[in-house]
Amino acid sequence: MANTLRLYLTCIRNTLEAAMCLQNFPCQEVERHNKPEVELKTSLELLLNPVLICRNEAEKCLIETSINSIRISMKVTICHLEVKQADELENILAKKFLRFLSMRAEAFQVLRRKPVQGYDISFLITNYHCEDMHKHKLIDFIVQFMEDIDKEISELKLSVNTRGRLVATEFLKQFI
Amino acid sequence: MAFFSSGSRALVEILMRMQSAERPMPVDHTFFEFGSIRYHVEASASDPENVYLSISTPSLSHEAAPSSTGLPEATLQETRKAYHKFAEVVEPPREGYVLTLKLNFSGLARPKDRVKAINQVSLLQSVVLSSQLRDMLGCLGPSGTMKLVYSQREPFFVSKTAEKIHAIFPMRFRDDTDLAIATSFFQELQDLGNSFARAPRCSWSPIPPPELRGEHVDRLTTNGGFVSFGVLSRHVRGKKRAAKTAWILLNFQAYVKYHIKCTRSHIQSRMRQRLEALTEVIQDASLRGNHDKTRSQAVLKKRRIKRRLISFAKANAKLQKGFRAILDKVKRLRLRIRVKGLDRLRRQCRCFAVPRLPVPPRTKEKEHRYHKLASVRSREQG
Repeated sequence: MANTLRLYLTCIRNTLEAAMCLQNFPCQEVERHNKPEVELKTSLELLLNPVLICRNEAEKCLIETSINSIRISMKVTICHLEVKQADELENILAKKFLRFLSMRAEAFQVLRRKPVQGYDISFLITNYHCEDMHKHKLIDFIVQFMEDIDKEISELKLSVNTRGRLVATEFLKQFI
Repeated sequence: MAFFSSGSRALVEILMRMQSAERPMPVDHTFFEFGSIRYHVEASASDPENVYLSISTPSLSHEAAPSSTGLPEATLQETRKAYHKFAEVVEPPREGYVLTLKLNFSGLARPKDRVKAINQVSLLQSVVLSSQLRDMLGCLGPSGTMKLVYSQREPFFVSKTAEKIHAIFPMRFRDDTDLAIATSFFQELQDLGNSFARAPRCSWSPIPPPELRGEHVDRLTTNGGFVSFGVLSRHVRGKKRAAKTAWILLNFQAYVKYHIKCTRSHIQSRMRQRLEALTEVIQDASLRGNHDKTRSQAVLKKRRIKRRLISFAKANAKLQKGFRAILDKVKRLRLRIRVKGLDRLRRQCRCFAVPRLPVPPRTKEKEHRYHKLASVRSREQG
């Protein structure tokens, strides 16, 4: 499991390193405007081919690149209830955590408040972000974010189950 | 968990305060516990020894006792038995209450006994409830199912068979998170049931158990399934044990709710911690932030060095000043007193005679020197 995650993250890192060569580019439609082309998609010549990296059926990462911005969208929720009932808790915790982070998007600067349709969380990196931040550190952040989400969700699940066991033990101890 | 203790803390506090008061004071308190249990404590200044305690508990089952005006005789008798040393049951009870007790602790001489009695009185609610429960189970006959309403929103069922009694709780939750946490808890409860032989066997199923067959559909519609406890005769052997088991089962739903609430807050705090860790990473990535940091650190270092140098120089100067001041003082002490222009005045006008001051006794050498000086002057004058 750890190996597949490592490969998945390495692939994302390499793709991001290749894709993150952004430059300032004014909007071609509106004068004196500077907009992220990956969001507007008005000029096709300014867009690169999107890259989709999948870990499994449910976990995937979409990297859309343009001349002045890059959009990274992730899907981390596990599966639907019917497919894997045991992971219901994990699914709920993942949704809860991602919603929690999205609500606090201003703390991350590059996080989108609303994810792209079909994904759980999205980042938008513009050339201004690249000017303000170290490129390699920005990539590190994205990779660590993905890693941390995975880790946090599994830890949360474990802690909820452990708490449940402890509380159940305490409840049954009352009868003794 | 203090919240689920069967004794009323508020009642203990009020009665203890009354007992420890130096002067007799009138008391008239009404308070609620667990949402629907109402207490009333009354005492007058003229008759401080008698305290009237009234309690109002909703009937556990409307089916069994449709006219819930008072308590059944069996419950009253049990209460009388439990508190006969220091309390009497007042009949009829105060208006709006099901039971009124007249407490008189004057018969108990030792303060230790009084504290014990007060703690016993605080358990009144559990005594009444367990007695009610026993009475209802008795009315049920050899087998049957009954709906009990301890908490207005969450009724539960008690099913009696020849071998055991099943307490069945239909669990309803308001959202998915609560449901997921509760489901994990129920699974653990079911798994652990085997390792606790003394505890009633617990089972959880998403569909209604066969004991509830024939019940109304509304009552069986849940999103959290059904948790049932199989209570055997050994779990309710003895009055104390029976009361304890009844109390634990009555509060099961509140226990689950409390666990959910605590787990939710635990999840929230963990998420906050992770958010902080991730925010730090993105702040480290910031060029300006980093640059500023390093720059500011360098500036701070330089400033520190400068400050140190300045302070060292200042200290040196101060030291030198101090040293000089000490030297001057020593010199002044050693030197004779000089008056500017006095010598010239003496030389110009010879008539001006300076009175000779008595010379203080000094060491031989110094004396000798002064004598010498004095002799030279006298020669000059002569």
